[in-house]
Amino acid sequence: MSIPVTDPDDIRERLDRVDYLVDDGAATALFFALTLGQPLLLEGEPGVGKTTAAKALASMVGTALIRLQCYEGLTASEALYEWNYQRQLLAVRLAESRGRQLQDADLFTEEFLQERPILAAVRHRGPIPPVLLIDEIDRADDEFEALLFEFLGESAITIPELGTVTAEHAPIVVLTSNRTRELHDALRRRCLYHWIEYPEPARAVEILRRRVPTANTALLDSAAAFLGRVRELDLDKPPGLAETIDWVAALSALGATELVRTDAVRTLSALAKTPDDRYTIAEALAELHAADSSGDGDPGRATG
Amino acid sequence: MDRAAFATAFAVRLRRHGLTVGSPAVETFTKALAACAPDSITRLYWSARISLVNRHSEIGIFDTVFAQVFGEATLAVDPHARRTPLAKTSGHADDAGTGPGQPEHGPDDDPLPWSTLPDPVSRTDTSDGGIVIALRSPSPRSGTPDVPFEHLDDMQLAQLGSWLRKAAPHWPTRRSRRRVNDHRGRTIDLRETLHRARRTGWEPAHLARHRPRDKPRRVVLLADVSQSMHAQATVYLHLMRALAVETHTEVFAFGTTLTRLTTVLRHRCAGQAVDHASELVTDRFGGTRIATNLRALLSGPHADLTRGAIVLIASDGWDSDPPEELARAMARLRRRAHRVLWLNPRAGARGFSPRVAAMAAALPYCDALLPAGTLESLGAAITVITGTATR
Repeated sequence: MSIPVTDPDDIRERLDRVDYLVDDGAATALFFALTLGQPLLLEGEPGVGKTTAAKALASMVGTALIRLQCYEGLTASEALYEWNYQRQLLAVRLAESRGRQLQDADLFTEEFLQERPILAAVRHRGPIPPVLLIDEIDRADDEFEALLFEFLGESAITIPELGTVTAEHAPIVVLTSNRTRELHDALRRRCLYHWIEYPEPARAVEILRRRVPTANTALLDSAAAFLGRVRELDLDKPPGLAETIDWVAALSALGATELVRTDAVRTLSALAKTPDDRYTIAEALAELHAADSSGDGDPGRATG
Repeated sequence: MDRAAFATAFAVRLRRHGLTVGSPAVETFTKALAACAPDSITRLYWSARISLVNRHSEIGIFDTVFAQVFGEATLAVDPHARRTPLAKTSGHADDAGTGPGQPEHGPDDDPLPWSTLPDPVSRTDTSDGGIVIALRSPSPRSGTPDVPFEHLDDMQLAQLGSWLRKAAPHWPTRRSRRRVNDHRGRTIDLRETLHRARRTGWEPAHLARHRPRDKPRRVVLLADVSQSMHAQATVYLHLMRALAVETHTEVFAFGTTLTRLTTVLRHRCAGQAVDHASELVTDRFGGTRIATNLRALLSGPHADLTRGAIVLIASDGWDSDPPEELARAMARLRRRAHRVLWLNPRAGARGFSPRVAAMAAALPYCDALLPAGTLESLGAAITVITGTATR
């Protein structure tokens, strides 16, 4: 395998080209995920861009992204592989009608094997290994973590009927977690770990500019500044970067060129996800507006 | 530079400060140093942190040690170092209720504890003595951690344990998405059917069926350890320990702040468990902020624990937060939880009526108000838990 990356700065520039902006920490983490061949565990508050990091990595490297969304009750047959039982039954009937004797080995072959995301990542053919995103691993139950160990350690999957399948090139594995459940130490030990912080205002503006190219600078600046204030409020669900992007996109779809209160209130549903939050943010907006108009008022009076 | 020796020496330093750094992590760090030359302190910092630290709660300790070893330059590169007060990073970092974004001191003490520097001088009440009215009212002040939790009584623990084990078969359950074989199940288990068909010449003679598996429903216990609950603190600690050990219960203690005690109280030795709990709960036997703590739970990293759970709140309802806020928090909790039960030690007294403002505000959102001040009444409360409808 050869993904030609020289250092974290190189990663940062190349991610920049696919419109994903990272700080030093994330660049280093992604660099090691590529070069050391170890899985990377990303944690952070919801909406700071954990999933997007994996997507950006895949498009930067120019390879396939295979995604496994975790949920409670996720089992081997949904994550690793499954046999196609219906086809096996058909094959049995067919063999019977032709009067042919069937062996075990006839039914457990490639033909009847259904790939699920992890097996697909292991058996991926091509010069560059795929990026496997195991999203929100904290949603799966802890039994599932144990299922991953062989794959994370060895990049291999054992199928009892077929034997062990080992990856030609170890896939680039990115796991994300929202920390709703404490992950097992054994899983953490096998991974590189990076905690993504919410970006500081300057970078947040830059990210918004990339994601919402139609928005103008005045709108972006004031929106990012307002977001800084909103995140300090006592909210049920503080808006993450993803919500902010949606909100600015909504504002700019309305043709707003700066943060006007009426537009902001109309698009608030992109930002506030509970009725209480909506009320709190609307109040903050009113305050901001009041402060603005008094600030504008003074020089006006001076000239008048 | 001998990278291996460097990595090992740094790992030893980290271990001395209580970080768990395994040898695979040191190996990773060595490889990381080889893959990316640490030509600046920033780069060295990230290489070390990504390969050696594997949980968020350890980042604070790591930052401290890194700053000690490599000078003060790191303070400028890492926002986290500035954000986390160093004093917080020394203990057993179980940052249950104090993740980023949550007020650690309560909203009116310090409006933005996660993004501003801590006050150099603590803002304790500086009211100039004068006339002190000896009136006991709910207070938002955090308590003094001089009085440790009393040690647990083995007999009482055993009693509670046996009650819980007796209740286990009737413990409330919920349906999980995993399935088990059951001949009365509704759906056909193709995998198992084919497996059996092997024995009958691939003729699926016996249809195997399965059904969703039931899991014990999660119980979340929030116990008030403020001054007004001092008398009952020990008996609740017994309940917390017994629940944590015997069942999959999440236990939290709260006074002015919320502390998750689940992992601590599961310790093999009951004595050590209580000692650790005393270390962690620094706000015990002080004031109460029920609404603030409920909100912290509902928006914190452990918020999902309450989803579909049976939530027990053990408190006398003396709250220094306004009752409207408690009502709002309880309404949110009610929407999220399966059942909300309130254990009130005073409810057993004759002539009790829930007249405390907070209690009256919370009551409409509770499924039951149970008297629970003594061991026997806790036994009765356990029966109520097992009696909650199973879905």
